[in-house]
Amino acid sequence: MNRHLLIARKYRVAASVSLRNRLAYLGNFASSLATYALFIFVFSRIWTAVFSGAAAGSAPALASGHRTIAGYDRAMCIWYFIVAEVPMFGFGHFFYTLAQDMKSGQVAYLLGRPYSFVGYHYAGSMGSAILESALLLVVGLILGSVFAGPVPLGSLPQAGAILLSLLLAGSLQFLLQFAIAMTAFWFEENTAFFWIFQKIALVVGTLLPLEFLPDAAQRVAWWTPFPLLAYAPARIAVAFTPATALRLLLLQAVWVSIAAVTCRLVFSVGRAKITSQGG
Amino acid sequence: MAAIRVEGLSKTFRTRTKAEGFGASLRGLVRPAWRLIEAVRGIDFEVGEGEVVAFLGPNGAGKSTTIKMLTGILAPTAGRAEVLGIDPASRRERDRRLLATSIGAVFGQKSQLWFHLPPSDSFRLLGAVYEIEPALLARRRAELVERFGIAEYMDVPVRKLSLGERVRCEIAASLLHAPRVLFLDEPTIGLDVVVKREIRGLLEEVARCDHVTIFLTSHDIGDIEKVCKRAIIIHHGTVIVDESMKELKHRALAKKFIGVKYTEPVNLDISGLVPLKRTRDAARFEIDTRAHRIEDVLRLLVERGEILDLTVEDESLENIIAGIFSGRSEEEARAAATARPASEGPTAGGER
Repeated sequence: MNRHLLIARKYRVAASVSLRNRLAYLGNFASSLATYALFIFVFSRIWTAVFSGAAAGSAPALASGHRTIAGYDRAMCIWYFIVAEVPMFGFGHFFYTLAQDMKSGQVAYLLGRPYSFVGYHYAGSMGSAILESALLLVVGLILGSVFAGPVPLGSLPQAGAILLSLLLAGSLQFLLQFAIAMTAFWFEENTAFFWIFQKIALVVGTLLPLEFLPDAAQRVAWWTPFPLLAYAPARIAVAFTPATALRLLLLQAVWVSIAAVTCRLVFSVGRAKITSQGG
Repeated sequence: MAAIRVEGLSKTFRTRTKAEGFGASLRGLVRPAWRLIEAVRGIDFEVGEGEVVAFLGPNGAGKSTTIKMLTGILAPTAGRAEVLGIDPASRRERDRRLLATSIGAVFGQKSQLWFHLPPSDSFRLLGAVYEIEPALLARRRAELVERFGIAEYMDVPVRKLSLGERVRCEIAASLLHAPRVLFLDEPTIGLDVVVKREIRGLLEEVARCDHVTIFLTSHDIGDIEKVCKRAIIIHHGTVIVDESMKELKHRALAKKFIGVKYTEPVNLDISGLVPLKRTRDAARFEIDTRAHRIEDVLRLLVERGEILDLTVEDESLENIIAGIFSGRSEEEARAAATARPASEGPTAGGER
């Protein structure tokens, strides 16, 4: 086996072992699937109420006669939410494990191995997150069909773009959370940073489409990676055009690269600060 | 070539201190207080290839910190270490990779096995991480499984294994990539005597058959007596003894313990000998062999009456080492009493 294959194998096996570990307790998935389903139910009721209010003429923001808000109708809003929540539920919790490993000193024992520390954790985390996201997507498709009507899937390229965008969104989630977790090298308590990150991510493109925000907020948001965490795949799902999908995928790829370089830099500076007292 | 070379190696931790009370907490936000803890203070030693060395010391002596510096987990504050000619603190990717593939480490209190999965999965992952060719991995795994007698545990989730079974799997896993130096930090901690004996036997076999250099820290004197050929003793971050086990045991020759039991009560007042324990028909004496010849003492005891039982024992290694620690602590206490106040400089202490 050549060297490149051997290197690829270590990350592939890391992903598969992590997945097997996650599968050891199928109940692990139950809570996130149940919460996701509950959120979909609640938000489908909210959007139904908003748009029936619109029909009665009590929502001035609606375009007259079209029953849309900023270009989104009721079904689009529900499907948007269903897709936008997949990366948040499926890829949104790496921080806690990473931060715990750093605070407990466990991370020190993982450093002396011949692998890219970031790459190894990425492979391990994505292994189980991809399965969880796939299950979420299945639940979302079923509930979406019930609450919003037919799946808004027009073509194979659109389906491919959604999946690729979800993968990039998950990767970006991992890398940003990894970078925040590594602030533990400098700060004893860094959960607050993640809390702020989570709340901004929720507001910027997860709970509501980005177009619902004021223009100024949208302009600022596009200078950050937040719209690419949930908005990108959700937008591709509900308003697909090849040009929009390509632009969003490219932006995601650029931010993934920036975040990966940042993680490597922060990690290489931070590892010198590791102190691990005690036997 | 020396497998391990250490010159003036030191590690000082900077630890934030927190005084009692709300006011102190608020002050700490503005002006945090720090304390320097010298965990390791300029130690020197060398370990040859294939040597089996015990690295001993009481809690907080600096054993684990030293092992962490030698395995590249911690960077030293001063001094230098080399493992197989590689600087473990090197930030060059090539050096780190070379070191990682040349050494193995078992930390008794940190498992490298996945808790919810069988050891076979961890072996597969470690084989991939160390880039072992699949055919070689299969062969190596089969050898280790047989040698460590772990075939029946390989498909049982680690959480369902006993501690002894897990430790066997841990050590086997750490040997998967055929390391030239094996660091073991308290590998037998928490094990019962039977399992300890098995693990010691396995380590002996690894050292003998594979010529692996073993650097072992332990509180368990049995580990050291059975497995190691040399002992380095560290106390308060300083090496205080570095000698072969033979030399260390030789210290025992200066002291013997004689136990005697008679068939009937006898007079055991012997000039110059104070019994450690005494009843009407039995006694136990500690003999300083530099002051008394053993045969003289035995003759005196035989003259006192008809002997039912007689034992002559060396001092245990455990007592010798405990004596070295307490002797050194008394010296330090005396030195500290005449030195400057501890608060003026770095302190040594705490669990390391």
